[in-house]
Amino acid sequence: MRSRFAGRFTRHRLATISAVVLALLALAALAAPLVESALGVDQTAVSLLDRYAPPSFEHPLGTDELGRDVLVRLLYGGRVSLFVGLAAALASAVIGTAIGLLAGYFGGRVDDALMRLTDVLIALPLLPLLIVLSAIDPTRLGVPEDWVSGEDASLGRIVVLVALFGWTTVARLVRGATLSARRRDYVRAAVALGAGSRRIMLAHILPNVAAPAVVAVTLTVGNVILLESVLSFLGLGIQPPLPSWGNMLTNAQELVSTAPMLAVWPGLLIFVTVIAVNLLGDGLQDALDPRSGSSR
Amino acid sequence: MTRFLASRLLQALFVLLLMSMLVTVLIALMPGDPVDLMLAGNPKATAADAARLKALYGLDRPLWERYANWLGAALTGDFGYSRLFAQPVPAVLLPRLGNTLLLLGASFVLAVAIALPLGVLAARRPYSLLDDAVNLFCFAGISVPPFWLALLLILLFAVTLGWLPASGMGPVGEDGWLARLPHFVLPVATLTLASVGGYTRYVRASMLVELRQDYVRTARAKGLEEGQVVWRHTLRNALIPIVTIVALEFGTLFSGALVTETMFAWPGMGKLIYDSIMGNDLNVALVALLLATATTLAGNLLADMAYAALDPRITFKDVRS
Amino acid sequence: MRHVLAVLALTAGLIVNLAAAPAFAARDTLTIGISQFPANWHPSIEPMSAKHFILDATRRPFTVYDADWKLGCLLCTALPSVEAGTAALETRADGRQGYAVTYTIHPDARWGDGTPITTKDVLFTWEVGRHPQSGFTNADLFTRDIVGVDAKDDKTFTIHRDKPLCTYAEINDFAVLPAHLEKAVFDSDPAAYRQRSRYETDTTNPGLWYGPYRITAIESGAHVVLEPNPSWWGPKPPFRRIVVKAIENTAALEANLLSGGLDLIPGEAGLPFEQALAFEKKNGAKYSVIFKPGLVFEHIDLNLDNPVLADARVRRALLLAVDRGAISRQLFENRQPVAHNQVNPLDRVYVEDFRHYPYDPKEAAKLLDEAGWGEKRGGTRVNAKGEKLSLEFMTTAGNRARELLQQVLQAQWKQAGVEVRIANEPARVFFGQTLHERRHKAMALFAWISSPENIPRTTFHSTMVPTAANNWSGQNYMNFKNPEMDRILDDLETVCEPAANKRLWTRLQQIYADELPSLPLFFRADPHILPKWIDGIVPTGHEASTMLWIETWKVKE
Repeated sequence: MRSRFAGRFTRHRLATISAVVLALLALAALAAPLVESALGVDQTAVSLLDRYAPPSFEHPLGTDELGRDVLVRLLYGGRVSLFVGLAAALASAVIGTAIGLLAGYFGGRVDDALMRLTDVLIALPLLPLLIVLSAIDPTRLGVPEDWVSGEDASLGRIVVLVALFGWTTVARLVRGATLSARRRDYVRAAVALGAGSRRIMLAHILPNVAAPAVVAVTLTVGNVILLESVLSFLGLGIQPPLPSWGNMLTNAQELVSTAPMLAVWPGLLIFVTVIAVNLLGDGLQDALDPRSGSSR
Repeated sequence: MTRFLASRLLQALFVLLLMSMLVTVLIALMPGDPVDLMLAGNPKATAADAARLKALYGLDRPLWERYANWLGAALTGDFGYSRLFAQPVPAVLLPRLGNTLLLLGASFVLAVAIALPLGVLAARRPYSLLDDAVNLFCFAGISVPPFWLALLLILLFAVTLGWLPASGMGPVGEDGWLARLPHFVLPVATLTLASVGGYTRYVRASMLVELRQDYVRTARAKGLEEGQVVWRHTLRNALIPIVTIVALEFGTLFSGALVTETMFAWPGMGKLIYDSIMGNDLNVALVALLLATATTLAGNLLADMAYAALDPRITFKDVRS
Repeated sequence: MRHVLAVLALTAGLIVNLAAAPAFAARDTLTIGISQFPANWHPSIEPMSAKHFILDATRRPFTVYDADWKLGCLLCTALPSVEAGTAALETRADGRQGYAVTYTIHPDARWGDGTPITTKDVLFTWEVGRHPQSGFTNADLFTRDIVGVDAKDDKTFTIHRDKPLCTYAEINDFAVLPAHLEKAVFDSDPAAYRQRSRYETDTTNPGLWYGPYRITAIESGAHVVLEPNPSWWGPKPPFRRIVVKAIENTAALEANLLSGGLDLIPGEAGLPFEQALAFEKKNGAKYSVIFKPGLVFEHIDLNLDNPVLADARVRRALLLAVDRGAISRQLFENRQPVAHNQVNPLDRVYVEDFRHYPYDPKEAAKLLDEAGWGEKRGGTRVNAKGEKLSLEFMTTAGNRARELLQQVLQAQWKQAGVEVRIANEPARVFFGQTLHERRHKAMALFAWISSPENIPRTTFHSTMVPTAANNWSGQNYMNFKNPEMDRILDDLETVCEPAANKRLWTRLQQIYADELPSLPLFFRADPHILPKWIDGIVPTGHEASTMLWIETWKVKE
């Protein structure tokens, strides 16, 4: 079983390469503090005398408009972007799986209500809603003020917003898988033996629906990273001084004719990461369920 | 059929009503009202000015009252005035809707025209080098930050090469189609590159499934030419799921246009939605967002109907589950 | 397949040719790019710099500050003055004093449809302006500052001012409206006037405009076309057509200029400072980039309720610890001067004689030690109770120039042992709520945009602190209360005798510099990007745009 999976996966040349690229990117991002100390620079240190420095031994990719090391900032930005992507995708996967399981397992009214909710949510125009939600004042909703001020607040906000709206795809997939799993003999047997609903859902059905969920999560990671860059473009993404690839790219676009590399690097990293994540998701899908072709 | 349609319409109306309430509440939750913002940075403005303007724009009344007034008027076809543009909402909305549809329509046609042959080619030789190349191209289009792509296109074709205008909908004072054509190239290209990948992959996936069907084998066995098998028989069947999925994506196109419209100074709906939300222009934001939602709902309905119409095995009863 | 390729190649060729054509447009058309499209067109409803920039080519105010920051007359024949006998102190029936100021409308002034501009229009404008439902943004001029207007004849009218103001002649915001077009609209329903005004419903009507140009075409959200106004009484304007295009994304705006789609980007609504600096370096040979520092005062409002900031020594130390000179040199390349006070050195009322704060980390450290923040733990100062010297620093999110400046300041204060936490908010939250309701915990970076000789009453008077009780009115967000300052602000309006007036201005700037309720940083410079072939554009550095003098622009031979 395992080897067949591996075989199908590696047959997907692009997916394999993508997995390696992503692993390298993640490692590099994790190693940001190490690189920082190895180079002897401080990512927050502003040096007005070293603005727009060309690549050098001390600054392999040069410095930005405030004289900060571009490489180190890209690595820290990668941490933020990758974290936002993963966290938002996982959160929406958890919500989506829970809702899909409940709907598929209980059926009837529960299913009706939950799927209607999903339909409604899917019908809402996502980007405009995110714009509204990024601009509202969470303290009016009773969120403690400490959570919404501070340098990391924008990070949490994006994760929550994406999770709130991003779970619908997973929910639909999981519901479908649950429906078919329910008809299997061993599930029926478990029901007949009097096992509790929770146990059946978690122990017998969940493993069967994991595959589509994993694929959906993978694809969501890419979408979220892209979405963060668009929100940054609109001034609603991750807020400085916290670097993210999205806000670095947005900041650099104004200076694109004089310091083009400042825009090229974060743009390239977003591009490479998202395409790698997508190709990986595609490969996983093929490997986990070859019959599905590769439709999303 | 009629019952199905009726229930769907009713449901859509309900979603729209819900959406209108949601938007009203959300916009009210945005801190600071338009008057405060208008007077910010102006040391001459007084509290009396602010109070007078708030009363004038009806901002001093409770939210539910404002919403009820709006709904009552909207049901009679009166959508009120735009606070920002000092014009009736339809007068602000309709020209921009036209501009956006023009842009989206052009890129949609182009994207489908590219996706169909590309997807079919890829499906005929799955896992070949060609398939990989197509796959990479598809994902490349999906994976580029759209504003970055737009900027790169502008820099290359407008600034460096000087072949194409960088923005706008056409030369000022000229309405001829031929004169406007160059202005369409870059924005349409940006939108097309972003959407063609998705479509191509749907076509490929759908074709892969169909090419495995028995009737294809039969047709081949009967000695039909391969080209005819693929392009005439299989593609027709493969189109069913494609049409469905494309129709489902209708609504997302609307918001996707925001970035392209901003970068190319194209006065359209995406930009209007953003400006009206940020400028606290509730009347415009409400109608524009409802329009976007309605488009999605219409797309969903269209998808269901297309599904049922194209595939005789499915009746309207099955569609829902 | 080959056919398809041929068609494609043909189309591509066609497109390229079509695009190349307009690049050779003659110099009788000027294409201006701005970063914002005006939402509405009425001159007195909803202020917006992009709108005023365009309208300034189509209308002329009675009085205005010119490029030398001197008050002058555009629509009137001469600036009224006591010396010339056109202004006089008067005592009203209720015993209060004010000025009666007499203006004469330029004899040749006509609306674009040929109707002369008369005192009828002036009276109508005053009627609209003081109507509570007309929606004028700055109605104070009409409801409070002007207590009466009477017409002597068709061209001469007298304005009665509420107070004996030193600047009695200034009526810059009195934008005259065409009574022959607007009166019927206004009279039918004043509350709907802001929507039904012909400025909104019939913007291209020639009768609305009376400058060198009039608006002849509008594509909402995209561009405006201006063409010469045949009824204009002044010198012939230089271009047969001016197209103003709006391109919001400034990277795209710059690209449009470079690709030949635009000729000029004005400072009034153009490129951000940093981008313009970079632009100048790359394209300085092809374009003139003029950085005009002006009355945009970038500063940090300190919340004096904060116990840390309540101590003046800490406030002084904060300013001494930042090297504004180096920032101006390195970050702004000397294009944005350091602000030492809230009055601009170019302003007539500026004095030199107040306390300055050059970069002096030693003195800053000494002051902080004295204030009880002597001990350092992990690089951050702490007081006797062990509390960290930590301050929250806010500004408008998405304003790149401010975000950059903020990060530089944060780094410099870190070296002085002050921890600064950045917490930015979108403009609508920051201005609409946080500042407005004084919710900023410590420091708020933003700018005041004022006119020359502006008396900063709403920002420094103790009665102007916004509170829930006064319905958040006033703009003294610092909670600055100083009896002498209050007295000076009250007196400044009416003590006009030059020596006495100067003494007041001097004390005002001294008190500000001693107390530092806010930290003065820089005077913002707006970058004007002009083609080399154009001459005669003189940026003003204040709210009156260069378009008010468009008839003096010249095309170089």
